[in-house]
Amino acid sequence: MKGEYLILLAAVLFFPLVRSRDRNLSLYRHTGALLKSIGLVCALFWSWDVAATARGHWSFNPEYVLGISLLGVPVEEWLFFIVVAFVSVFTWESTQYFLGRKK
Amino acid sequence: MKEYTLLALASVAVVTAADRFLNVRLLVRKDFWIFTVVMSGCMLLTNGYLTWRPVVLYGEAFFMTLRLGTIPIEDFFYGFSLVSLTIILWEYFKQKEREKGG
Repeated sequence: MKGEYLILLAAVLFFPLVRSRDRNLSLYRHTGALLKSIGLVCALFWSWDVAATARGHWSFNPEYVLGISLLGVPVEEWLFFIVVAFVSVFTWESTQYFLGRKK
Repeated sequence: MKEYTLLALASVAVVTAADRFLNVRLLVRKDFWIFTVVMSGCMLLTNGYLTWRPVVLYGEAFFMTLRLGTIPIEDFFYGFSLVSLTIILWEYFKQKEREKGG
């Protein structure tokens, strides 16, 4: 099914996004830091991805993506890095909380 | 060495250097490695799915073709770099915001 990659991203993002406003996490107390870190990681890994895809390091199965691409990379793959970066920060902050290190 | 193999390993070196250079010192913290175990579990599920389906196809000429299940070994280094760099930068920018705010 063409929407599969997108559905996977939505499934991964769902819980962290819903819980990200939890007052025990400091995600939105540092909105600038959140945007800067996600933005910089995306810029770096998008560049790598565009180059690696062009070179043939990997490709995307047309069966499972919508078919909308930018610079040869499917839109789902662009979103992938935003989702992973956000989920990483959420999981890191949650880990800190559960380890009893509120920062 | 194959290109993706080399790039994935190099990215880990760059991220390790960034951790020192930005003085975040995340990689020497125990809580970071607990977090890394948690993220590895998530990665096995999601990247496992992407490579099993497969949504992503890998160019035979560019990686070792060694896989753990369906996941190329290089992906573990790549994933480590992606996740670790995010947290290093998050901690770095958060610290800078705190300093600015007094």
